[in-house]
Amino acid sequence: MIQLYNVCMSYQKEATALNEFSLKVPKGDFLYLTGPSGAGKSTLLKLLYGAVKPTRGQVLINGMNITRMRSWRIPMLRRKLGIVFQDFKLISTRTVFENVAFPLEMQGKKRFEISNKVYQALKHVGLQGKLNRFPLQLSGGEQQRAAIARALVIDPLILLADEPTGNLDDDVTCEIMELFKGANARGTTVLLATHNREIIRRYPRRIVSLDKGRLVDDHTP
Amino acid sequence: MLQSIGYFMRRVGRNLRQTPVLCSAAIGTVAVALMIIGFFGIVVVNVQQVAQQWSREIQVVAYFDQVPDLGKVQQWRSSLEAMAEIERVEYVSRDEAFKRFKIRLGTDADLLDGVGADFLPASLEIILHDDNQNKGGVEAVVQRLKQIPELDDISYEPEWLERFDAFVGLLKVAGIVFGGFLLFAALFIVSNTIKLTLYARREEIEIMALVGGTPLFIKMPFLIEGALQGILGGLLALCGVWAVFTLVLREGLYGVLMVTGTEGILFLSPMQQWGMALCGLMLGLTGSLLSLRKFVRI
Ligand SMILES: Nc1ncnc2c1ncn2[C@@H]1O[C@H](COP(=O)(O)OP(=O)(O)O)[C@@H](O)[C@H]1O
Ligand SMILES: [Mg+2]
Repeated sequence: MIQLYNVCMSYQKEATALNEFSLKVPKGDFLYLTGPSGAGKSTLLKLLYGAVKPTRGQVLINGMNITRMRSWRIPMLRRKLGIVFQDFKLISTRTVFENVAFPLEMQGKKRFEISNKVYQALKHVGLQGKLNRFPLQLSGGEQQRAAIARALVIDPLILLADEPTGNLDDDVTCEIMELFKGANARGTTVLLATHNREIIRRYPRRIVSLDKGRLVDDHTP
Repeated sequence: MLQSIGYFMRRVGRNLRQTPVLCSAAIGTVAVALMIIGFFGIVVVNVQQVAQQWSREIQVVAYFDQVPDLGKVQQWRSSLEAMAEIERVEYVSRDEAFKRFKIRLGTDADLLDGVGADFLPASLEIILHDDNQNKGGVEAVVQRLKQIPELDDISYEPEWLERFDAFVGLLKVAGIVFGGFLLFAALFIVSNTIKLTLYARREEIEIMALVGGTPLFIKMPFLIEGALQGILGGLLALCGVWAVFTLVLREGLYGVLMVTGTEGILFLSPMQQWGMALCGLMLGLTGSLLSLRKFVRI
């Protein structure tokens, strides 16, 4: 359950990235964040994973108020989240396997448990044959699948995806969307920021539209 | 815990393998900085040693105008030796003084033929404690000696003393200022070198934070790496200082300080050698700590 109440957020004094923004996302929901470039979609996601703090208002995740969360507790919040980016953010000097193992290593999990889970996650996204490759030896779609495996390997409560298909062509976009659908079917709440109307049409879900930091529309087709 | 240590060590090993040039640069910086400090340390150690030998000669001599009564001499000795500043008091009789004079003349001793052994006065030689071999100590002793009327003349060298005090003081101040400055410069360079190694891994550090690594967990491998580089640099500096010491520095210092032999020139004591390795470790550790502050932000 995600709750935002009258959230304002600005990077500099004048320009507001979010303005009196309120939203409720029940557990297990699948929701698109859409709107023109600069509307505040990325800022909203950053707020949820604790990369920025709201200037005003309250943000709650699972009843936990993260507005005034001490910075040492932010890692604990992030261990419940899976995050996927447009540019994948894989470590280029590490193999696919090592990249996906990273979140588990950060939690200090045992080695055999890590290899088990990583293998399962990579199998789930269809990369079990390429676990010793380096990210740059993979296609864009494969890199994004590796990034999704890294997000899902910890069984996150919430999956945050910021334009995850922005760099990918249509066929690959469908593969990626199937992975998000599957994760959602297994109970993960999904927030997906995109301005790709085509995928919204093909996978109709709740749509939250933003413009200039304000919520302008919230409907489920 | 144990398994975290294993994990950290694996990461350290991998980091060292991945950026060998930067790591060598960090080790090299620590080594060069500590080597300079080491040279300076050796010079200071030896000058101080020579200074200590000089100060052994600081003593006060009080001459009697007549041959004193031996019982009284014994009394004065024990009352003087009770003073905190004084280590030892020796009575030099006329005969003893004559004997010493003869020895000092060496082959010219025959000049004394036919001269009676009583032309030199008897005296008290007062040797001061190490930490009182300065102007204050000497003056306190002289004040006390002036209260003994049988003493005719008290000999000490106030001007030389003052200069000696000033020299030792200057040496101490110069040591602290120069050493401190060198350490500070070394820390600055080391922390910047380590910043470069962190910059090469900023992608990794960012992602560690994004997937829920705690700041300490993210920093730990880099701290271990810094400490390791620091201690390696310290050991390397020690070897370097030793090499240069045996090759040139020992002869050079011998020529300048004119001590009794090249064996008289000291290397750093074992304690100081440990100190140097420890200094390297602290440099590496603080260096990475300082630069990590800029990189690990959540
Ligand atoms: N790091 C930043 N510093 C300053 N301004 C920023 C930063 N990131 C985003 N902004 C501004 O905040 C507003 C919202 O940006 P963003 O959330 O990235 O929009 P979107 O993801 O919908 O394109 C924009 O006006 C953008 O210029
Ligand atoms: Mg954006």
